[in-house]
Amino acid sequence: MAFAPALHSEWLKIRTLRSLPGALLALFAATTAFSALAAADGSSEPDFDPLFTALSGVLPGQIAAVSFGALAMSSEYHGGALRLTLASVPRRGRWFAAKVTAVAVPALLAGLVTAGTALAVARAGLGSAASGLTTAEQVRGVLGCGVYLMLMALFAAGLTALLRSGVATLSLLIPFILVVSFVIGDAAGTVADFMPDKAGQIALHQTYDGTLGPWSGLAVTALWTVGALAAGAWSVRRRDA
Amino acid sequence: MTSIEVQQLTKEYGTGRAVDDLTFTVLPGRVTGFLGPNGAGKSTTMRLVLGLDRPTSGTATIGGRAYPTLHEPLRHVGALLEAQAAHGSRTGRDHLRVLAVSNRIPERRVDEVLEETGLASVARRRVKTYSLGMRQRLGIAGALLGDPEVVLLDEPSNGLDPEGIIWIRELLRRLAGEGRTVLVSSHLMNETASFADHLVVLGRGRLLADTPMREFIHARVEPRVRIRTPDATALRTALAGHGYDAVQHEDGHWTVRHARVDDIGRLTSQAGVPLLELAAEEGTLEQAYLDLTATETEFTAQPQEA
Repeated sequence: MAFAPALHSEWLKIRTLRSLPGALLALFAATTAFSALAAADGSSEPDFDPLFTALSGVLPGQIAAVSFGALAMSSEYHGGALRLTLASVPRRGRWFAAKVTAVAVPALLAGLVTAGTALAVARAGLGSAASGLTTAEQVRGVLGCGVYLMLMALFAAGLTALLRSGVATLSLLIPFILVVSFVIGDAAGTVADFMPDKAGQIALHQTYDGTLGPWSGLAVTALWTVGALAAGAWSVRRRDA
Repeated sequence: MTSIEVQQLTKEYGTGRAVDDLTFTVLPGRVTGFLGPNGAGKSTTMRLVLGLDRPTSGTATIGGRAYPTLHEPLRHVGALLEAQAAHGSRTGRDHLRVLAVSNRIPERRVDEVLEETGLASVARRRVKTYSLGMRQRLGIAGALLGDPEVVLLDEPSNGLDPEGIIWIRELLRRLAGEGRTVLVSSHLMNETASFADHLVVLGRGRLLADTPMREFIHARVEPRVRIRTPDATALRTALAGHGYDAVQHEDGHWTVRHARVDDIGRLTSQAGVPLLELAAEEGTLEQAYLDLTATETEFTAQPQEA
């Protein structure tokens, strides 16, 4: 069994379920809309960060990315779908890699397009308040945002394979994202900085003053994602389908 | 050709044994009915054959190879496990395309099996709009997609209408006629009797029988002959003279137990008994099956839900 047919099959699965392209569309729409709102809201706050304001739509928007990852994986855990899948691709490690790739690529592309659009829209709203942003910072923000959204989608996909349920994953992750970001997020203790979402979001800021920088922050998020995927792969390989 | 070989296969879940030291071979060119009450281990055995569950001990192979080692397995083995496996939001055609591309099966096969299973007209409708019978047909279409030489179907007639049941019967006969290996599980006796050549019977995970169906029935059900005659006295005399035991029924026909129709026909003719009807009463698979399970002490001690 080669990898390419398995990947083709997984890609076709994503394309042919309306809810999955729908989730990516929701990611784009929600992120852009919330970024535009944040930009229109103004730059009066003392710790105003033009890059983060422009990309702040990602905070609510990432829920769509997480849903995309969880739904893409959880469709295998209904009505014995995984059995049919593994009967056609019995090498489970190869199948899991194909699934992960088929989630990662569209999530990354949608994330990059979303971040680029959100930044452009928000800059128009911010006007001169955003003029301090260098090109390098903007590129880093957009790239970092795309990678961050992909990692969050994969984190959800890995957890779903471990828990064998999209509902369980989403009811765990969404409150977690909301609580960490909006409640204990501002009281930035060092532990909160290393949470999967908080660490990666450093890349969305123009200035940062913690232990982690934009790339090391994304690396921390990537570690969480790798952990979740490894656990998911273990579950797929070891358990009866 | 390709057989399914099951060798001392055992699967334990927690403390129970779903499959208990099972050994049998499913040969090509005939339909093998896989019988047993619900919970007897039929579905578990099929999952073990497909490498979906891991056996506690023993092996299950197809043509000598473990299923997960097959290159593009759908081209060798087609299986229907659950009718609900297709995602409700996908169209039937897309469901099959997903399967086809994973094994490099050309897309025209998708349309061929849709045609063959009578789903062509609903192929572009979402699966959630399908009836149970249509989902069952879609599952069978998936099993046939790779034109496999081995076909495993778990309860394929579930949810099918009478027309569908006749269709599946003819399909199974045709697949076996083409030299394929066909294993079909069921808990419906009359249904199985209509298509199976050979039987593998399970009870509580253990092998109860592995024999040709005719032999299975003949070994367990006494042959009987049905007779109608206007001259009851002559018939009774003739039969009694040869030691046959005949019972008259309310509507006037007689049943001769432990008798073959050839013997009774000759005998009554020689005795000059006028006959209105003479027929062999075939034993049914159901009778044979009940006889088998009645001799299994475990069944009588703890009858299973069927």
